Amino acid sequence: MTDPRDLVTDVGLLAEGAHDPGSPPAGIRRAPTGVDGLTTEHLVINMGPQHPSTHGVLRLIVEVDGEEIVAAETSLGYLHRGIEKLAETRRYNQLGTLMDRGDYVSGMHGEQAAALAVERLLEVEVPPKARWTRSLVAELTRIASHLIWYGTFGLDTGAMGQFLYAMRDRESILDILEAISGARMMFNYIRPGGVVADLPAGIDGRIRRFCNGFDAYLDEHHALLGGNEIFQARVQGVGEIDADTALAFGLTGANLRASGFGWDVRRERPYDAYPQLDFDVPVGTTGDAWDRYMVRMEEMRQANRMVRQCVDGMPEGDFTAKVPKVIRPPEGEVYASVESSRGETGVHVVSDGSDTPYRYHYRAPSLFACQVLEEILPGHLIADAVMLIGSLDIMLGETDR
Amino acid sequence: MWGTGLIKGLAITMRNLARGPITVKYPYEKLELPERARWAVAPKFDASGNPKCTACMACVRACPDYILDLEVHTAQDKSKHVEHFRYEVGACMMCGLCVEACPFDAIEMSHDYELAVTDPEALAYDLLTDVDAASPKRARAEKPAAEKPAAEGGGPDA
Amino acid sequence: MSPALVIVLRILAALGLMLANGVVLIYMLRKVLGHLHLRLGPVHVGPKGVFQTTMDVLKLLSKEDVWPSGVDRALFYLAPMVVFVPSLMAYAALAFSETWRITDLATGLLYTFAVLSIVPIGILMAGWASANKWSLLGGMRAAAQQIAYEVPLLLSVLPVVMIVGSLNLGDVVLAQDGMWLGFLPKWFVLPQLPAFVLFAVAGLVELNQTPFDMSEAESELVSGFATEYSAMKFGLLFLSEFSNSFVISALGVTLFFGGWLVPWVSSEAIQPIAPVVFMIKVYIGIFVMMWIRGTFPRVRIDQLMQLGWKWLIPASLGWIMVTGLVMKLWQLGPQVVG
Repeated sequence: MTDPRDLVTDVGLLAEGAHDPGSPPAGIRRAPTGVDGLTTEHLVINMGPQHPSTHGVLRLIVEVDGEEIVAAETSLGYLHRGIEKLAETRRYNQLGTLMDRGDYVSGMHGEQAAALAVERLLEVEVPPKARWTRSLVAELTRIASHLIWYGTFGLDTGAMGQFLYAMRDRESILDILEAISGARMMFNYIRPGGVVADLPAGIDGRIRRFCNGFDAYLDEHHALLGGNEIFQARVQGVGEIDADTALAFGLTGANLRASGFGWDVRRERPYDAYPQLDFDVPVGTTGDAWDRYMVRMEEMRQANRMVRQCVDGMPEGDFTAKVPKVIRPPEGEVYASVESSRGETGVHVVSDGSDTPYRYHYRAPSLFACQVLEEILPGHLIADAVMLIGSLDIMLGETDR
Repeated sequence: MWGTGLIKGLAITMRNLARGPITVKYPYEKLELPERARWAVAPKFDASGNPKCTACMACVRACPDYILDLEVHTAQDKSKHVEHFRYEVGACMMCGLCVEACPFDAIEMSHDYELAVTDPEALAYDLLTDVDAASPKRARAEKPAAEKPAAEGGGPDA
Repeated sequence: MSPALVIVLRILAALGLMLANGVVLIYMLRKVLGHLHLRLGPVHVGPKGVFQTTMDVLKLLSKEDVWPSGVDRALFYLAPMVVFVPSLMAYAALAFSETWRITDLATGLLYTFAVLSIVPIGILMAGWASANKWSLLGGMRAAAQQIAYEVPLLLSVLPVVMIVGSLNLGDVVLAQDGMWLGFLPKWFVLPQLPAFVLFAVAGLVELNQTPFDMSEAESELVSGFATEYSAMKFGLLFLSEFSNSFVISALGVTLFFGGWLVPWVSSEAIQPIAPVVFMIKVYIGIFVMMWIRGTFPRVRIDQLMQLGWKWLIPASLGWIMVTGLVMKLWQLGPQVVG
């Protein structure tokens, strides 16, 4: 396999004076096949940060032979904002605002991870109502995030309609979350100790209405995209990741479960209200893009089931434990993780006793998915590359932090 | 039979065509915001029109990005006069931590979301200019006994 | 009027029809896709947004014509013309009614297909001339896809030609006049349904429409072969794409759906409004193409080539044999003279 360091990172065809016009540009390497003295070359193409389908600012440098990819290299960092460094100057109740902006389509999961880490450091017990509320909003966020994945996955294969139908359903969820937390995307709702405010009156009626309608909409979404034979031909058998490769690369979440390894943080390391909730965890078999699609569609259905259970079984009580206004956890370190929509989102906090963390590490599941791309892309076509990026559900905000 | 999925897909899109668009024609029609919606920070005033702010600086300390800034002049009798209460709305992320931190219910997250301006100077303005800060004692006495400012948060409840 | 003037007027009429079609079809596409996708499409410019395309054309005319450095200047300049001119020429053989035609060609069908097959050369030129690897990929895909599918396209309409015995599009419509069993129109879609399906698939590939729009795959190649084009060159490329969709839909209507004929009404009786009926049917066909465009994902280029060579060509050859056998055994179709 080509050493990625040998790939030139800028194709330079359009740069003035980048190369002598008499010789081929630096990015093209000669791979002679020698029929009657004809030589063929591999093209080095830049699927650059600006691209309609790289789910953010992902840069992929691929070496192609015609349309077939021979080697691929991911170049990350275009959305790096220094979240981990900024966290060293933020107090513990402000960390949620940073996590919201990591994986920004499933903000509640990031906030949940940060809150769990601080609660474990403080050894504070979260009241039942707060735990059930957190699970409720987390599962709603999971549905919202998977709807974006579903919409953009279809767009990557060329279908347009299902994207807007998914957005219609996502609008209902965002309206509910706006009524609960005050914002549609940067929620800042889950804090160490519980949540910021109680659920507003009348929200359970709205949520139940959404849940009752969503199953039928989900069937429609699956019939539109998954039932489409063209889509099935594009997606089935493509991009297989076996369980060993997935584990070696550190994949988690739906990507790992589709490869046959049934690891779900909500089952293995339960937190919040998940021990009391009744849900199934879908696990795939072959790890191709079709299995990842089916696993996520089923996860949406299970999340809907959990939302209904949370609304029906919401206990009474306080919505937050008593935590001091300025949190100064004892010295120590802790790692806490949640099952976010993209995998295992983890937070590793090292506290030195002051009101800001000494070191804050944010484990983002999409980083590992980006890296497994370099492994699975060779042998596929360029059209498959776009589709596989979509099937792994990569979110550049959390990858680059 | 191969192809039934394609026909079903066409039927689904046609059904959605018949359902009609869900577009809200902004700015001619606007959606109603929920009570807790967090947008630009605005000062609150008491019944006689005076600002409730006591210049205690709790919001300035609570803000993660140092958006709020109070320029205060303290007189001999410990009463405070607010020269400028500067608010950089262009950099504010509307997280609501300032409103949660205020012990006197003197600021709120308004529902003003049409914040686009053409002049960069307008991206920062004063919430309060050249006013006397309320007295902390009087402000606390006015609050009804049942209301606990520290436990509630997240924006104005009517 | 002198014959030369008549010819010039007819050509201008074809040009006018092509431009008017472009304006209406672009607006129709945006509105249809919008409503399929739960949104509105253009609404602001004019009542219900009807002047949107006119304003877009004026905008394109006033845009800066960008010449990226490194392009092959001659090919870059010629490519939109090579794509546009054949699209205009393809209108020549269409039959809007018994008397309304640009010109009455005895080999109308063959001429139309021949002229439309020049378009992929222009697309390949556009992709090659742009100094952009993504455009190159788009142009190569177009070359593979559109040139390869000329064969199934021609083979799929051959049974219809066998039945009618003529390549003249007007004769094809007149052969569909009349009723079977008193109530079924004699349109060729009923006995020749497999040929219609093959023609529809091959036609969509020729048009670069989803699910076969690989050379212009928006989510992969930005705009494929047309990425580096701006202003009126871009306008010409896309006008020709919409114009081709009109031509292929018109051919489908002519060959399979009775052209300007209305069921239970004879051809002479419908003549006064025949062009209107024809246009309505063509626009229904285009609506179905837009409906498909807003619903289906895209086929991959290697799957497309397999579909063409392994399925469409054998199927169309098989159907030609079946039609020929049936015609011979039941003495159908035009009899050989002499």
